[in-house]
Amino acid sequence: MSRLTKTHVSPGAPGSGTFRRTLGLRAVAVTAALPLMLTACGGTDDGVAEDGSWAPTQAIEITAPAATGGGWDTLARTSARLLEEEGLVDHSPQVVNKPGAGGAIGWGYIANNAGDPHKLFVTSPPILLVPMAGDSDHDHNDFTPIARLATDYMVYLVAADSDIETFAGLAEQVESGDLSVGGGSGPGSMDHVALAGALQAAGADATQANYIPFDGGGEALTSLLGGHVDAAVVGVGEALGMLESGDLRAVGVSSAERVDAVAEVPTLVEQDVDFTFDIWRGVMGPADLTEEQVAYHETLFADLMETEAWKEESARLGWTDAYQGSEEFGVFLDDTRGEFAEILTEVGLQ
Amino acid sequence: MGMLDQLLYGFSIALTPENLLYVFIGVLAGTIIGILPGLGPMSAIALMIPIAYGMDPTSAIIMLAGVYYGAIFGGSTSSILLNAPGVAGTVATSFDGYPMALKGQAGKALAIAAVSSFVGGTIGVVGLMAIAPSLASFAVSFGPTEYFALMVLGLTAVVSLGGRNLTKGLISAVVGVIVALVGIDSQTAITRFTFDRPELYEGVEFLIVALGVFALAEVLVMLNRRGKGGVRKAVTSLRLSRGELARITPPTLRSSVLGFFTGVLPGAGATVASFLAYSMEKKIARDGKSFGQGNLKGVAAPEAANNAAAVGSFVPLMTLGVPGSGTTAILLGALMVLGVQPGPTMLTDNPGMFWGVVASMYLGTVVLLVLNLPLIPVFAKVLNTPRTMLLPLVVVFCVVGVYGLSFSVFDLGLLAAFGAIGFLMRRNDFPAAPLILGLILGGLMETNMRRALQISGGEWSVFVTEPISAGLLVLAVLSLLPSLVRVVRRRPAAGTPAEVSAPVDGSEERTPTPRG
Repeated sequence: MSRLTKTHVSPGAPGSGTFRRTLGLRAVAVTAALPLMLTACGGTDDGVAEDGSWAPTQAIEITAPAATGGGWDTLARTSARLLEEEGLVDHSPQVVNKPGAGGAIGWGYIANNAGDPHKLFVTSPPILLVPMAGDSDHDHNDFTPIARLATDYMVYLVAADSDIETFAGLAEQVESGDLSVGGGSGPGSMDHVALAGALQAAGADATQANYIPFDGGGEALTSLLGGHVDAAVVGVGEALGMLESGDLRAVGVSSAERVDAVAEVPTLVEQDVDFTFDIWRGVMGPADLTEEQVAYHETLFADLMETEAWKEESARLGWTDAYQGSEEFGVFLDDTRGEFAEILTEVGLQ
Repeated sequence: MGMLDQLLYGFSIALTPENLLYVFIGVLAGTIIGILPGLGPMSAIALMIPIAYGMDPTSAIIMLAGVYYGAIFGGSTSSILLNAPGVAGTVATSFDGYPMALKGQAGKALAIAAVSSFVGGTIGVVGLMAIAPSLASFAVSFGPTEYFALMVLGLTAVVSLGGRNLTKGLISAVVGVIVALVGIDSQTAITRFTFDRPELYEGVEFLIVALGVFALAEVLVMLNRRGKGGVRKAVTSLRLSRGELARITPPTLRSSVLGFFTGVLPGAGATVASFLAYSMEKKIARDGKSFGQGNLKGVAAPEAANNAAAVGSFVPLMTLGVPGSGTTAILLGALMVLGVQPGPTMLTDNPGMFWGVVASMYLGTVVLLVLNLPLIPVFAKVLNTPRTMLLPLVVVFCVVGVYGLSFSVFDLGLLAAFGAIGFLMRRNDFPAAPLILGLILGGLMETNMRRALQISGGEWSVFVTEPISAGLLVLAVLSLLPSLVRVVRRRPAAGTPAEVSAPVDGSEERTPTPRG
């Protein structure tokens, strides 16, 4: 449904999921009761200890500003489950889905709960791109960065029998205007920015690119398979199956160093195209949190990422750990926004 | 007989007591959730995802697949009994199913739905088994150009769904297309008709419109009649005579095949399939005029098609890793969380899962039939519920269904608005079906047309130079010809005594269609 939000769900290696997990029915009860359990916080106990540190007095609620089954939902549910299983929290965290408007509905919900330290949400590049497109009443400045957790990358694909061998070759043909490039999200959103930025870095005129937006990376890939478009840009996770089967060929990946899952694909940087693009994922909270509250959550997620279970899960989902604490994450968000703005201005979308 | 071996291997997986239980749980849960108006396969699967998280991946997908086709089947029950389709794919079922229920043939309509769903599902599974790997190339042969042509063909169904007055049908369809335009345009990221409401950025959810113009409007109509009229007759038996079975067999078989292939296309799915099947059968049938008034074939065709399509949509999911519909997209998400990457390599990397799922689908359709035939009389009793109880319940289910989708109060307002629109349409003889058709196909048609033109550099000729697209467009023109000829022929004759005395509804003669 969401047109702006890309729900990048990255898989693990095929066949690696045969182990069983024993989560049981608790998660069911939690989800089933979601809408009913949005109890107001407050009360007399504000969770501040004598030494001034803070700890939650009730269950932390993690909002996925999208429907179940997407990338944000996966992140929210995975972290909630591991936080509980690893015994890092006293109350089982609850996952709340607030789908709509590419995330803006969920962000609105969090914004309305400013100062509530028990309400976090999962986030990724759309928190910058959707507001830049003017489609959200709130942008990343309205929230408190907690931590950046993991990242995934973009991959640039052509058909297996294409005569294009390198990203430079792709850029050259795209610039000539007779090559169409499919992506899984609307103009001005992730896939388009990842394409335009890379073209620009390769010295091509990104405004000449014939970018065709599809509803999701999968659709873009089928169109490429069927020869309806000539190239595609999607998340690594989405393309994994078709790269493995040899139906499609990658001419570049947007990471700084090669990605394990697609180790044979050269990075753009290796090809002298100075561009990287991260599909980072992180956690943010509402505005007006105290230093102590931020510190608590920051440590909580840092601890989570130290656990074996997290490492196992994130490897399976194809994520690369990319932890940043609150302050660092905030700076990163500002920088990235600037970078995006530059690219969008360049292609005439801002 | 490599395939047979593999299928047996699949059955050996699906027939373990544990997995058999999951098939049963999935189908049962799906049916129950699907029966509730407003809750469709998407909500059903979303509700079951948390349960699936803790399970073995093969068992999980077996259960979720059961939920999927169980919900599609359950949806037909509320379409027939309450005119409240909970699933887009069963909207077409209500066109003849609900009139049948009004005539006291609810049992029969449900039985037809069960049987033709079974046939559709079975043919779909056989297709999935036999030709899934080779179908991948068929699925990718459809690009934006071809989808545009397919949607045009689908929209020609307006002529057959439009009821007595073609003009009103067309107006209704255009309104549907306009509603489909609401939201952020996926091609330019510009908001259209959103009135600065973020709730409208992703467009108007199909289900809200369907529940509004069908279920709520029906409630309002009944209220307006002060509870008089409508279903009063006792529910007849569900037994089908041999003659009736013979009548629905050819449409069921045709629709199953059509449905399967439509389902295989990632951009089409069960809803498009059911509409295509319905309008195809209406055109083929000699008694096509009685479609919409409780024709058995009008129930059999969309039911066979939507179940076959539900199975067909597993082809792109499992062979390409591309979801063919919103529901399979959710399923894909669930699979990935379970550590399974469906895609071209799944058949070789994970044959146990592929064949296990295929075998479980076969079991699932059987379970569905066995489970539902004895339950039909129970379901049909719903109609004996006193009006004073039933109407509020329908409203409650609509509200819960819509709210459960987005937790948005705004959507409830939309539901009420579409209920009012539906009521006014009913009062003024505007058919609701074309509106739904326009809503479903209009958006897809527009997006794909613009994509195709963007790829071709603005060259309109692509639609006729691409063979598949040209073929579909020719079909569309052909399917419009009879109606056009009729309109053109009638025009000079209008007003002659012979024409007036023709046994047609009088109101139509007083308002001749202004254009061809």
